[in-house]
Amino acid sequence: MRTDPDPLHLEYATPLDQLRLVLQPPPAGAASFSATYVGPAGWGFEPPGRAGIARFANHLMTTAAGPYDRVALARRLDRAGATLSRQTSPEAAEVTLWGPGRDWNALLPILAHVVLRPRFDGADIARVRRQTLERQLRETTQPASRADRELLQVIYPPGHPYRATGLGDRRSVDRIDRAALVRFHRTHYVRPGAALVVTARAPLRSVETAVRREFGSLPGRAPPPLRLPHVAPARPRTVRVDLPGRAQVEVRVGGPSVAQSAPEYPGAFLANEALGGRPMLGRLFQRVREENGLAYHAFSHLDTMRLGGTWSAAAGTGSDRWRKVVPMLHEEVDRLRDHGVPARELNSVRTSAIGEMSLALESTADAHELAVEAAYHELPADFWATWPARLRSVTVRDVRRAAAVAFDPNRSATVIVGPIGGPRVV
Amino acid sequence: MRRPRATRPRLDRFTLANGLRVVLAPDPASPTASVWVWYRVGSKNEHPGITGASHWVEHMLFQGSPRYAKGTIDRAIVGVGGMLNAFTDTDYTAYFSTVPREHLAIPLDLESDRMTRALISDEEVARERTVIHSEREGNENWPEFRVEEELNQLAFRVHPYRWEVLGRRTDIEHLTGAQLRDYYHQYYGTRNAVLVVAGGFDRAATAREIRRRFSRLPRSGADVTVTDIEPAAQGERRSELSGPGTTAYVQIAWRSPALRSPETPATMVIDTILGGESRLFSAGAGWGRAGEHPASRLYRALVDPGLAVRASSEWRPREYPSLFTIQAQAAHGVSGERLEQAIDDVVVRLARSGPTPSELEDVRAKVRRGAALAYEGASRIGFRLGYFATVAEIEYEDELLNAVLRVGRDEVRDRARAMFSSSARAVVRYTPTGRGINAD
Repeated sequence: MRTDPDPLHLEYATPLDQLRLVLQPPPAGAASFSATYVGPAGWGFEPPGRAGIARFANHLMTTAAGPYDRVALARRLDRAGATLSRQTSPEAAEVTLWGPGRDWNALLPILAHVVLRPRFDGADIARVRRQTLERQLRETTQPASRADRELLQVIYPPGHPYRATGLGDRRSVDRIDRAALVRFHRTHYVRPGAALVVTARAPLRSVETAVRREFGSLPGRAPPPLRLPHVAPARPRTVRVDLPGRAQVEVRVGGPSVAQSAPEYPGAFLANEALGGRPMLGRLFQRVREENGLAYHAFSHLDTMRLGGTWSAAAGTGSDRWRKVVPMLHEEVDRLRDHGVPARELNSVRTSAIGEMSLALESTADAHELAVEAAYHELPADFWATWPARLRSVTVRDVRRAAAVAFDPNRSATVIVGPIGGPRVV
Repeated sequence: MRRPRATRPRLDRFTLANGLRVVLAPDPASPTASVWVWYRVGSKNEHPGITGASHWVEHMLFQGSPRYAKGTIDRAIVGVGGMLNAFTDTDYTAYFSTVPREHLAIPLDLESDRMTRALISDEEVARERTVIHSEREGNENWPEFRVEEELNQLAFRVHPYRWEVLGRRTDIEHLTGAQLRDYYHQYYGTRNAVLVVAGGFDRAATAREIRRRFSRLPRSGADVTVTDIEPAAQGERRSELSGPGTTAYVQIAWRSPALRSPETPATMVIDTILGGESRLFSAGAGWGRAGEHPASRLYRALVDPGLAVRASSEWRPREYPSLFTIQAQAAHGVSGERLEQAIDDVVVRLARSGPTPSELEDVRAKVRRGAALAYEGASRIGFRLGYFATVAEIEYEDELLNAVLRVGRDEVRDRARAMFSSSARAVVRYTPTGRGINAD
């Protein structure tokens, strides 16, 4: 008899008009809880000339909120044994509270303060501006982050929400002020398109009551919808950026890809797993590192969002080795696209991906990530429970067809960043 | 009154005749099983000429053993949905696999096979050399790595903590397969290892399985005690580096006690007051240290007024006396000198006045909470049990927790006075060149 990992038991509710609640019990034995607000506040929603404001606002929200200034909030969390974390992407922003499970009801008001009542104090704005400017420069001068950024800039046209990394530029970040932050927050931390995800050992009714009590004043106005401009096919391009004085060269090959809701998604997911998404098992790791010893890391990534996605193959290698690594990445991507994945290899990555579901249920934080993903993509409540069956139904032909769509050569680019010598060539 | 103790699961422990220590932490509800092998071998056991050997051996243990040919180790674990990896530090090397519980036999078989019989062929050593170079180059891209390597070389002149765990570039270039095999056969063995299994498994059946697989291994593993003693530092040591980067970066190190020193609890309190958390009892869902700590003294003195964009302290628990460091990344336009002065002010103030009562209360609450949630998930349980079993003993965690909770104001002040003596510190400043913020 085939035994799958215990299915994730997600419960869906709408405790407040237009606000979705996803409740998930923590793994057996887990003593912590997590709660996340995920909503339409990513950098794709930034008004013109305001690049960087989404991450800026998200950062400040976890700094000081409601009755707590920066130090008071930090001390409140420390004394409770809780932490706040944040994440921003083109389409969404998240704020997550983690802490002792038995205190979930007492700690939920902290998350409500953060989401509903950020303070945006002047001193905090000045501090986050300084930190953001330094991060911008780090992104520019570090080969890995520079390579990621260059890839997005070459594969997406100006104005495309996926083109940016969310840090903005010096001028736009200098212009961010309290009024703009308040406006962005009011417009984008709302009920429509948002969800509260709670992983706690608590009955749904109790959580619904708590959410109604704490989040009742969350605005009900929908922000303007996010739209993706068309990305026209183009000849494959190569960008080289010389960063003298660095030790390692970072290589990226990538392009636009499919959304999580695309019919090709399960096949594309397994295609990426075979290419390099599965740690140590992927073709890139095996060929570049294990067979040829050319790099410490070699992997691929398929970032599927609501409206679209991005794929990339990546490696970090020496200044005397990148010329060998670049063609290897291309050859492996081409091989995947042109020949797909043989049945035996497909079974191997599929078995691995299904088995990994157990590992995703090790701790509250691990399981919570899956629930947040389900909420963000508005997946059905049984999505993760039925995910193994969906993967089992994917055929060799499905993978090949999906790879052709998801790893489109006509919209891809190659980026090489590091101590490579010579000028930048586009 | 009951003394606080960490929230460990119930344990079963035994030692095989060949010296291998075994720790079992079964949890019938866990969907996974996590197998950890910790060796009390690290860069402390190397010497110039073979620096980086422990880390290189770590790589080679993925490159083949009698029952697991090259390429099959990854497939055996990842192929069933598991994950595996390893890491090397100054005092230890740890290998771990976490798998769906029904596949527990695979990592047990793997670890028993490679504990004493890894192949480490010349051909694989040659191929792995560029991988290790590449790993080191990836780290060298970060000014923080370069500064820390320089700092250790400044602070230590005799003790093996002097060199970077990844090894010196020149040693990576010249280490041979024969040297690695010698090193492996000398130190990696049952006497220097702890096997930890945590998660969903049957206690008795797993104990039987472990005895069957590991009892047949020979008793091996030479003494890993380090006899080199670092002499007291005479005066300050200082170095300046420059290269690509963003803004000025400063790291200062003071001599700090070994993990099992009676001075450790007060040092951990100092770390928590200055930087916001201590490595062994920090809150959070992750494995390492959390992010910003706006209530910490360094943050308030350096980041709030705009001198730095990041500032933290770190005391690393180590087997032998080591370093307590403070590091800060300057804000735009702030010099390394100004940053250093601000750090000095912070440590002098703590040494002069000690902590406030509310700071001590915060530290105690934080440490108590951190300890309460430290054991969640088979992988984290295996990590934490293995760590304490390797660097001390499992119950030492309780001893340390209680000692930290008992530390008083005077003890912190006295420890700060003793530790932050400016005549025994090392300072490295990093100045960005090229297109840094300071240059535009």
